[in-house]
Amino acid sequence: MNSSSYLDELESRSINIIREAYWQYREKLAVLWSMGKDSTTLVHLVRKVFLGDVPVSFIHIDTTFKFKQIYAFRDKYAKKWGINLIIAKNNDALLAGISPYKNRFNCCDSLKTKALKEVIKKYNFKVLLLAIRRDEHLIRAKERYFSQRDKEFNWDYNHQPLEMWEQYYKTEHEEEGHLRVHPMLHWREIDIWRYIKRERLPVIDLYFAKNNKRYRSIGCQCCCGAIESSANSIDKIIRELAVTRVAERLGRAQDKEKEYMMQKLRSLGYM
Amino acid sequence: MDRILRVVIAGEVDAGKSTLIGRLLYDTGSLHNTAISEILQASSSHGSGLEFAYLLDGLEEEREGQLTIDTTQIFCRNTKSGFWFIDVPGHAELLRNMLCGSSYAQAAILVIDATKPLGNGAIRHINVLNFLGIKQIVVVINKLDMLNFDKNAFERAKGETLGFLESIGMKAGYFIPLSACQGDNIVKKSARTIWYKGQCLISALCFLERLHKTERKEGFYFPIQDVYMHQAGQVFVGTILSGKIKKNDLVYVSAQGKQNRVKAIRVFGKNKLSALAPQSIGLELVKKDRLVRGQIIYKDSELLISSEITAKILCVQPIIPGERPFFNCATQQVPCCIKQVIKHFSISTGAISEHEDCLDKQNLAEVFIMLQEKVAVKRFAQLQALGRFVLKRDRGIVAAGVIV
Repeated sequence: MNSSSYLDELESRSINIIREAYWQYREKLAVLWSMGKDSTTLVHLVRKVFLGDVPVSFIHIDTTFKFKQIYAFRDKYAKKWGINLIIAKNNDALLAGISPYKNRFNCCDSLKTKALKEVIKKYNFKVLLLAIRRDEHLIRAKERYFSQRDKEFNWDYNHQPLEMWEQYYKTEHEEEGHLRVHPMLHWREIDIWRYIKRERLPVIDLYFAKNNKRYRSIGCQCCCGAIESSANSIDKIIRELAVTRVAERLGRAQDKEKEYMMQKLRSLGYM
Repeated sequence: MDRILRVVIAGEVDAGKSTLIGRLLYDTGSLHNTAISEILQASSSHGSGLEFAYLLDGLEEEREGQLTIDTTQIFCRNTKSGFWFIDVPGHAELLRNMLCGSSYAQAAILVIDATKPLGNGAIRHINVLNFLGIKQIVVVINKLDMLNFDKNAFERAKGETLGFLESIGMKAGYFIPLSACQGDNIVKKSARTIWYKGQCLISALCFLERLHKTERKEGFYFPIQDVYMHQAGQVFVGTILSGKIKKNDLVYVSAQGKQNRVKAIRVFGKNKLSALAPQSIGLELVKKDRLVRGQIIYKDSELLISSEITAKILCVQPIIPGERPFFNCATQQVPCCIKQVIKHFSISTGAISEHEDCLDKQNLAEVFIMLQEKVAVKRFAQLQALGRFVLKRDRGIVAAGVIV
């Protein structure tokens, strides 16, 4: 099997999952786009799903603490790709002065999870597409492709439904809950970069090394650390990932603050 | 590097499944530095030795309880090949999680505890692997460090396991003596089992096939997943299950088998002249028949189109007589009922169920199913994707089935 047919297989499975979710929920489906490499790949896959005009909405959860490059990238490609983009902000929390410098857990919970809660309530979305992958984090590896959240956004990870043979869990408009769909669960970090190269997708330049530092994972500026790296092109990133012993989200503060912080954040509805 | 095999690690509770995966990751150098220090830290905070199982049992409840609750997949690489190792729980009540993980597997490592081979848990997992049609089995006889790497102990456990596998028509390509916790015969041959002349585990895994041989030659089958409206008209979207399609090909559409012709093969941004499995595409047809999700576009005529099927089902929930669950095969969904239970037994004990018609969870049964409408299927042995189905009640899966 050559590299291209391998990527075709990953892509096809993702497209199949997105079409499955869209078939059931139509315009009640929204895609979370953080402008990172994974969710930008997801946006591309969603555009492929519809073969042309995209009938669903995209959500950017804006904590206001993102890198400035993220905002420039968002505005450029939302326009270029004709994307219907909703920007979600928790203005009350921002006015109250919530920030990562006081308490990271509260900050992620308020500015990301609560902002998301408000936006899906306002627009009555029932399904969210997220670009999480199994190989990012132990807790994400426990996810299903279709995963129910209750109205409080709780994830009942101890009683996940059976999912097999492309037959997924679906709900008939459960009161105030929503469904998370993870079409890229089976992709690895290196697959993403190979696909970005093949499909010539744009990525934010923070991923490329400058002065021997680059970001492998990006989000809020204050909570992301750069890694030592000289990879200043996609090819060099692919070569680096083939041999690295460093975890992808090493620079992400919320993953390792305490042993189970990610699990607790996720059980409260974090991405 | 691109040949990635998905391997489920099956076996009894506490046979050392998660430990084995942890050891494989550690010894092949697939682990991140942070993962290694996290295990060290977590292991010491739980007051135990180096706990490889921590690599996979990421939930707090799993680490506290020292058991695997849900299935997980973790990538492992050596110089030749890549693997997704699928960890699954051994407990009977977590069968649905085991089934979920195993349904992705192309091969299995069956972990047998040399100190107590073939308990109900091992038998249950073997029955599930058999049901799923997983034919590539590597048996590892684990915990030989507790038996001084005694050849006779290995042979005893091997004989017992082989006997059971053969009794249900299964084979295993390899039997490997092992200590997962001490690393014997994992990535290199152990000096403590000089009497063993076979492969170490990772070499055995590198010999396994990545594709189902039987399915390479299958015809073109394309279940309609959805219908999108475009300027040019209807586009039928879906994923090709097998075979190849070209522009202008003559095709048939289930259930009536009406003829049509491929006008265009659409993907994002362009039209293609041909497409093959497992691509997801859009098809435009020449005749403007109104088609819906669930119909199957196909090229040859070996499709079984019927409202009556005989199948083997594995229940994860009880099914009561007269119940009408949905039958779901590919994108087809039709109400059905189980007309007759031909025979059924418990997958853990082999015991025949006492209630003749009520199928309990963890029953494996041969059944005769009546469907409200005709469906288009294949025998599981011919084409898995059209030979397997699930029965759904409300939103959840109550049973998985294969057409015999």
